[in-house]
Amino acid sequence: MVSRATRTRRRGPNTRVRNETIVAYLFLSPYLLVTAVFTVGIIAFALYISFTSYNLFESPTWVGLDNYRRALGDTGGFLRSLGNIVLYVVIVVPLQTGIALMLASILNKPVRGQKFFRTVFYGPSVTSSVVIASIFLWLYLKTGIINYLFDQTFSLFGAQWTAIEWLNDPRGLFQLIANAFGGDIASEQWYFRGPSVTWLAVMALNIFTTAPTFMIIYLAALQDVPPPLHEAAAIDGANRWQQFWYITLPMLRPVTLLIVVLGTIGAFQVFDQVQFLTAGGPLNTTLTPVYLVYGEALGVLGGGSVIRMGLASAMAFLLAVIIFIFTFIQRRYIESGTERY
Amino acid sequence: MQRTRWLMLLAAMGLIAVACGGGSSSTTVDGGVVSTTGAGGTSAGGCFGLTPEEGATIVFSGWGDETEQQVYRDSIARFNEACPDVTVDYQPVPADFQTQMKAAFAGGEGPDIIYVDDQLMTALGLTGQLLPLDDYMAQAGVTREEFIPSLLTIFTVDDQTYALPKDWGTLGLIYLPEVIEAAGIEAPTGDWTWADLRTAAQAIADNTDVGGFCQGADWARLAPWAFSHGGSFTNAAATEATLTDGGVIQAATIVADMKEEGSLVTASDVGATWCGEAIGRKLVGMTLEGGWMVNFMNTDYPDVEWSAVSIPAGPEGKADVIFTNGIGVNAATEFPNAAAAFTLFVTGRENQAAITETGFAYPTREDQLNLITNENDQAISEGGTYDLSLVSYWGPNTGRVNDAVSKALERIFLGEQDVEAAFQQAEEEAQLALDEAA
Repeated sequence: MVSRATRTRRRGPNTRVRNETIVAYLFLSPYLLVTAVFTVGIIAFALYISFTSYNLFESPTWVGLDNYRRALGDTGGFLRSLGNIVLYVVIVVPLQTGIALMLASILNKPVRGQKFFRTVFYGPSVTSSVVIASIFLWLYLKTGIINYLFDQTFSLFGAQWTAIEWLNDPRGLFQLIANAFGGDIASEQWYFRGPSVTWLAVMALNIFTTAPTFMIIYLAALQDVPPPLHEAAAIDGANRWQQFWYITLPMLRPVTLLIVVLGTIGAFQVFDQVQFLTAGGPLNTTLTPVYLVYGEALGVLGGGSVIRMGLASAMAFLLAVIIFIFTFIQRRYIESGTERY
Repeated sequence: MQRTRWLMLLAAMGLIAVACGGGSSSTTVDGGVVSTTGAGGTSAGGCFGLTPEEGATIVFSGWGDETEQQVYRDSIARFNEACPDVTVDYQPVPADFQTQMKAAFAGGEGPDIIYVDDQLMTALGLTGQLLPLDDYMAQAGVTREEFIPSLLTIFTVDDQTYALPKDWGTLGLIYLPEVIEAAGIEAPTGDWTWADLRTAAQAIADNTDVGGFCQGADWARLAPWAFSHGGSFTNAAATEATLTDGGVIQAATIVADMKEEGSLVTASDVGATWCGEAIGRKLVGMTLEGGWMVNFMNTDYPDVEWSAVSIPAGPEGKADVIFTNGIGVNAATEFPNAAAAFTLFVTGRENQAAITETGFAYPTREDQLNLITNENDQAISEGGTYDLSLVSYWGPNTGRVNDAVSKALERIFLGEQDVEAAFQQAEEEAQLALDEAA
């Protein structure tokens, strides 16, 4: 009797929950279907392709782990591109995050013309990356304005500036430092040379375009920091810097995690600037994994090669694994701090 | 009020989207489809010995700027005079043509007729996506022997012809007479050797304030040097890289020495983006460039007087590098006869003569070379007739082989490696590319 009553009582909410679940899935189904077909399905297909030799036109032939072996061998350029991209991530992500936070903090103050500056700062982010790249193509010319500015600045101090061909200079940062002390680093030891001048130029361009995007996110987060916290700290005698360091920054942690993760993923996948400005050159110092994947997948490397969809897919999966690992580490590191608050 | 404004904004955006979408397709209609109605008495049976399918509409795609597009619109008009029943829908793709074509063919949406270069030959020709043209050539009375022989190398696989050359180009020695005069040397002639070039370049560098000879770290510019020193990038079968076998090394050594002594400069050394521009801006005295200089100089630097002679000779004689692109037919076309007829017409004798007259390109048959009227073009085009001249084609991974040569030159010019080491590395890279293509 009792048990039946309980059962009857239970059935009501259960049916409702089930019905709600069904309705929810019904509403979700268009999206899920599209995702299943165009994302999950494609990824599964790409995974299969990565174990085959496939040129788009003839049916794929199974080659086992050959593509992975080839990607991780030292001839395909994949390791080189990974080296480049790690340098890129290590330099670009902290800088763009820092600059974004700086810009946002400035804009968060009630300054005159705040809206105007917000628009100006955001400009590079809403402009198409190809347009920005073509503007920088001119700025970076040997006879371009950047060399001109350096030249003018140097001549103020009576020094001589040697014009740099920004987009075609494979000399590495550490190599230049070594050169300054009369040494050199052989080309076989490219991994000790550090990022090339051209690579640094591409990084600068990318920071210029992505920092404002993250600035907007920081700006929104800054406005969510409750003023009473600052007021309380001020009463306790904290100066502005201490307030920023001990209150604002910790409050921004979840947002910083988001920005660092998004920035890292974006940095790992840099492609359009490379395709447009350097095509991986000079001497492979700006070769990136995604550019290599594109080149192998469509057979356009070095002006024309065999289409190797299988190798391209294998590289793409290796890259995905690496991004996943990096993101996971960042998550653990930054989130472990968040939990304290 | 607020909502009305949003609606208007949405409507405006919709209109823009429609206008953009419509814009591209209407270009095709306006500028592309050339259909002749009722003109010409040729029946369907008389189209170059081929019988186009009833109501055939064929799509033709190639790259090219406005000048080239006009050349092909005119060609289509001429074709329609002979074959009025075939409608040709011309859809030029000026940028990323190869990538777009690979994607289109992979999706089964390839145009009926396309431009074919070494890259597309690899992607499409070797995978059965292009129609062998030999049967159609036989019906139309076109033979392979008509063409300058090396032009067919890219498009031939197992004695089958997958595309026919639409035009070609090569390199000549371009110079500025006023710089030559200022340097106090005699003007270049067609009898020059590379040694003469080097002496003259040194004289220009010493006696004037412009660069002597302009050449970049580019496989195509090294090729004439290498071929005329008896070198080649690979063996004839394109199975073995031969970048360290004497000829190439000898040639590269001279080039490297010239760079070292300052008689050779790159375009960026003198603040230009390419050597042709360096000539136009009078930053150098000489360079190796091709027929495109004629149009380029006329348009961009009409007041600069320049001249061309044929390429200098090496120890083995004269040799030049030949660039060519072809036109091929989609194997899956619904209208193979009409498409083949169009391809044969565009690459045919009559149309080649008409295109040559415009000064746009060189004709693909040796006996038509006398139709070239511009003196500079005449001098440059001589490069196509030497026995040692080659199309720089080394099988499916041609691009990577050539790229290995360019990169080797880049390392030499940057002082990273000496000639031996640079080409040793290039040979390994090229060999890998050849092995992976096999």
